[in-house]
Amino acid sequence: MATAPKTEPDVEAVDLETRIIALCHANPDGVTDVIIQDDMPQFDVKQRVTAINRLLSTGRIDLLKSSSGKLVYKLKDPDAAGLVKGTDQQEKLVYQIIKDSGNKGIWIRDIRYKSNLLLTQVNKILKNLESKKLIKAVKSVAAAKKKVYMLYNLEPDRSVTGGAWYSDQDFESEFVEVLNQQCFKFLEQKALSAQETKIDPIAQRNASFASSEDMWKFISELGISKIQLSVEDIETILDTLIYDGKVEQSIVAKAGGIGDSGQVKLYRYVSPLIPPTGLMRMPCGSCPVSDKCYEGGAISPTTCVYMKQWLDL
Amino acid sequence: MSNSADKVCQLLLREQFGVVAEKIGCCLLRKGPCPLSWLANEVGLKLDKVREILCFFIQHNLVMYEKNKRGFLEYRMAVKPTLWRCRFPKYIYCAKTLYGDAAELLVEEILHHGQVLMNDVVQRVTDRLNEALRESGQPEISARVVYDKFCSLARTHFIMRCTTISAETENSTIQAPDNDHSLYEVPSMDIDGDGRVKRKRSLDESDQPVKRQKTGDTTTKEDGIYWRVNLDRFHQHFRDQAIVAALASKIDKKASEVLRTMLRLSEVKSASYAPVTTPVSFTEIFQALPKEVGLTRSVTEQYLALLCEDSTEIVSKVGNSGGGMYSVNIYKGLISLCKAHVESVVQERFGSKSLRIFRVLLQRKHLEQKQIEDLAMVPAKEAKEILYRMFAQRFVSITEISKTPDHAPSRTFYLFTVNLQQVARMLIQKCYQAMANALIKREAETMEHRRLLDKQERVNAIIATLEQTGADEAQKEEVKQMITPAEKTKLNQVKETCNKLDQAELQLDDTIFILETFIFYTERETCVS
Ligand code: SF4
Repeated sequence: MATAPKTEPDVEAVDLETRIIALCHANPDGVTDVIIQDDMPQFDVKQRVTAINRLLSTGRIDLLKSSSGKLVYKLKDPDAAGLVKGTDQQEKLVYQIIKDSGNKGIWIRDIRYKSNLLLTQVNKILKNLESKKLIKAVKSVAAAKKKVYMLYNLEPDRSVTGGAWYSDQDFESEFVEVLNQQCFKFLEQKALSAQETKIDPIAQRNASFASSEDMWKFISELGISKIQLSVEDIETILDTLIYDGKVEQSIVAKAGGIGDSGQVKLYRYVSPLIPPTGLMRMPCGSCPVSDKCYEGGAISPTTCVYMKQWLDL
Repeated sequence: MSNSADKVCQLLLREQFGVVAEKIGCCLLRKGPCPLSWLANEVGLKLDKVREILCFFIQHNLVMYEKNKRGFLEYRMAVKPTLWRCRFPKYIYCAKTLYGDAAELLVEEILHHGQVLMNDVVQRVTDRLNEALRESGQPEISARVVYDKFCSLARTHFIMRCTTISAETENSTIQAPDNDHSLYEVPSMDIDGDGRVKRKRSLDESDQPVKRQKTGDTTTKEDGIYWRVNLDRFHQHFRDQAIVAALASKIDKKASEVLRTMLRLSEVKSASYAPVTTPVSFTEIFQALPKEVGLTRSVTEQYLALLCEDSTEIVSKVGNSGGGMYSVNIYKGLISLCKAHVESVVQERFGSKSLRIFRVLLQRKHLEQKQIEDLAMVPAKEAKEILYRMFAQRFVSITEISKTPDHAPSRTFYLFTVNLQQVARMLIQKCYQAMANALIKREAETMEHRRLLDKQERVNAIIATLEQTGADEAQKEEVKQMITPAEKTKLNQVKETCNKLDQAELQLDDTIFILETFIFYTERETCVS
């Protein structure tokens, strides 16, 4: 096999690592360099050092000083017990609760509730764990002042950060609106130029369609977004345009047919059915005090200022 | 009927027929059906005066009467027809666009007289037309032309006979079913060599049949048959127009012409108020398309496909024979239109973010606030405010679903939803209120400048007489000078104000028309199912 020589060292290295770990397992009090060397003489120093360094950097073993003053390697306990060694039961408990909450995090009140500890105690423990970089606090978008705790190395869930539309915990309303408008302009322009082609009606409609991928490319090229948006993000924006009633969506089978869902979402600009309705073309339609307006009342059509303005009197 | 609509009724009566009529009309509106003597007593007027006004109302189809259980005749105000008086310009304009000037004048005459004899109205219209023709130096026309228009209007059911109701017969109301053809049957008419309608000598001769209908076993006398405008038919036409216009705006003019043709074809075949029209075939549609539209066969096919694929779902293909059978879903069209009008109000009143939220609710029915925020991508705080504002003004409603019987807020879901019918009703109210406001404002404006307006009228009258007596220009000029430039600008301003208010009333009526037709259909639908 041509590839054999290349893969061999890797296989060997991995093998060495697993054997070191097995050794550590066998000796919970720790293993010294000498023990390792004795156990597997077939590896040279260089190989051993690389393997140990890798294990150390990936956090699977620890380098500790034993009571006799020797350096020993010990298995890093993947569970709480090993990590919070030297701390008391309560800390373990709190750590466990936070761990269980996964990347959604947990609110301090719920920690208290689950652990049955006093607020001051919980606060102290949380501070402790935080300073050890075992856990972190993340601001949630669900409620302005709500902080949730989760393990330090976790990437917070979308429901906590809010995804692309949040910076810190603020909803980027303006950003959404800018994208909404850009997408709209793009589709409107497309529909207009389709109209000018004067081709037959169906071809004309088809020319006004744009897929979500087209839109995504357009928006990416515009460079208005600091962060990388996904096609799904753009689809969410396009959905707002549908809700605005300015755009309609059609789903068609993808040409070629294979690959992901086999569907393309197409969007196009649609003109409104009617001009502004009659009621809104005179002041009474949008009048805030119309409920209190009647003949002879304090607010009345004959004295109304909105009417006067509208009629240019 | 609502207070605001009653108010509009009252204002219209006052404006068009004066305060006495208003008083009687109001009393009828307030008290519901009541007998003559009671009514006279209630308003404190002489019996004769009340009787006279009632006759007048009946003549204009504004009051209905019925024998109650104890055998009294009771009079009832017909609210809708009264309100529809502000639609007159629309009916008249519609007749003009469909059948030309003569039809316009016919409808105008019939509307302003309520119920008329055919001979009278044909003669009057012929005279009016000829007068105008004479002035512009064109040859006069014969009454025959006008009579033909009259027949066209009756054939397409835009005008109809009044059902004769005699108080003496046992059951005092004879309600003829409206598809009864005899209602639209036009008797023939004697027209003399000069193109004039032959006058009958006197009314006592009218019991002798002057003309007999040749067809049908009933003998029809021309005399004594009164004609009126069939407002319902006009409304159906308006309804179709509105749907056509909507698709013209959404797709394009030509697509709407295809739809218009479809509606015209199925008009005669479908029952009035059917939610879906009788299917028509592609061949029929293509042949009936007006040549001016200039559509080829394949393009017409394409337009039909576009119409069928449109999200409003107004047109649908229901079969394959005859090159494809197509029908128009009137009800769906009305739903789309009603939504569009309501959305337009939301947009103008609350802004575009609110419209987005409103439409999310329209499409997704019941939603929690969090879901609304996510779908509409509106920040929580803003969404809360918007929802509250729309809730307070009854554009959205809330359903509470509690997990526990105590309805504790923490264990209750609050689902927001839009009840389209409810919103439509509420907006109709608002429209009537706005309409009343416009009427009041116009009345106030004319009152304020009464003296000036009177003066103008006098001056105009003098000028007219001067013209007749053949006075010279200088004299006329002198009279004209009586209105100072300042007064003239004021008069122009008043005129402009009134025009603007008039226009606002007509536009309000457009909104009312769509919303009411939608509700009418919805109620019919729910009755059926
Ligand atoms: S008349 Fe003036 S105060 Fe009254 S409802 Fe209209 S706009 Fe409002």
